Amino acid sequence: MKTMKVTFRVNDEKVTLQVRPYETLLETLRERLDLIGAKEACGMGACGACTVVVNGIPLRSCLVLTPEVDGASVTTVEGLRKDGKLHPLQEAFMEKGAVQCGFCTSGMILTAKALLDRNKRPTKKEITKTISSNICRCTGYKKIVEAVEEAAKKSV
Amino acid sequence: MILPKFEYKKAENIAKAIAFYERYNGKVRYLAGGTDLIPLVKLRLSTPMAIIDLKGIEELKAISHQGGWLLIGANVTLFELKNNDTVREYFPALYESLDATSCETLQMRGTIGGNILQDTRCLLYNQSLEWRTARGFCFKMGGETCNVVPNARACFSNYCSDNALSLMALSASVKLAGPQGERKMRLEKIFSGDGRNPFTLMPGEVLTEILIPMKRSKGAYKKLRVRDSIDYPLLGVAVSIKGNTGKVCVGGIGPTPLVYNLKNINDSTFKDVAEKAYSDARPVSNTTLSPDYRKKMVSVLIQRASKKVLQEGK
Repeated sequence: MKTMKVTFRVNDEKVTLQVRPYETLLETLRERLDLIGAKEACGMGACGACTVVVNGIPLRSCLVLTPEVDGASVTTVEGLRKDGKLHPLQEAFMEKGAVQCGFCTSGMILTAKALLDRNKRPTKKEITKTISSNICRCTGYKKIVEAVEEAAKKSV
Repeated sequence: MILPKFEYKKAENIAKAIAFYERYNGKVRYLAGGTDLIPLVKLRLSTPMAIIDLKGIEELKAISHQGGWLLIGANVTLFELKNNDTVREYFPALYESLDATSCETLQMRGTIGGNILQDTRCLLYNQSLEWRTARGFCFKMGGETCNVVPNARACFSNYCSDNALSLMALSASVKLAGPQGERKMRLEKIFSGDGRNPFTLMPGEVLTEILIPMKRSKGAYKKLRVRDSIDYPLLGVAVSIKGNTGKVCVGGIGPTPLVYNLKNINDSTFKDVAEKAYSDARPVSNTTLSPDYRKKMVSVLIQRASKKVLQEGK
């Protein structure tokens, strides 16, 4: 089958790739670009471990075909670090101990980032609701919600 | 899970999408948000030659008012629709069902058109090819039996759209465009009653627009679910009333939702509907909850929804 030429931005860098039309964004990021922050867990769009931000919207990258993001701007967890400094959300997750096995963390952080980008001071209820989009099977959500609250306070 | 091979085409308008449909002799699937379609393709429940992406069609992304109707383009995302002022103010049942759909992240991707036209689901259907081969194919996979109900003659897969229920309670209509031209029909009419092929859409047709009569309503949507997020309804009940008439819609059980018209609403109306719906509902053991429990919850959710709707007016 013919491959397709796709151009998009990943973490502020322009990339042009020849991809299979049936390739998911998650496969492209992990296998072609070595950005292994997004994880595959269910592969069915249920768990949120593969969440990346595309044009400001958090998406399940396992459900997105790479040709669909042609011309778009993709942010992965690797792109949050700026000038050698971690993003406030990453700092807060470490500070509050919101990570146990870490498999869901990149998805959690990106879902939270998209929330903070559209709502600078979300309430606890809003954070809980947004974070319920992602599944964590070890810590429980309390510390994750606290970490997002902390990051919201710091970034204002 | 790895996707099977297919081609990807992006349509800029509806005519192009239909042209692609014809070019591939109908062996295509239309893609909107993909939150229902991509898992189906991954599980080999659908094996199209090409996927036609409809997201580039601008005319399907608009929400507008016209001649006493609210017109919603099929590609409007659930999240966008949920945050629309008219929906919040005029159609509380729809607002509640949108809010109850899956989770925020998937609401931002899923579209209203795709949500209405999602395939019916069954615990023994939404499985990998290997799993299904081991078990034996059922009616919905082209086999000659139902794996849930022995000796059944029909498919009992469940229609799991939250929003179609509230839209039906609001007397919504849909516009379709296909190789044979355009047509408009009441939303109830899109259901075939057969779980194998749940919709009456003609081959190649695209759902383009949803129309809701612009009349202020009171309403509620109640959903039976186990996780409160990222899950399909195991039962859904939408109630919407305008003045002393209204509708109750029950879904998530079987391939076609049940619709009840309410006239001259009084104290006993909802009790009667709850009893009627309880006896009409025929759940089978094809979800994670038992059929008995789901059946009992039909009347419970109708009464809970009605309580909320009736209190609103006071």
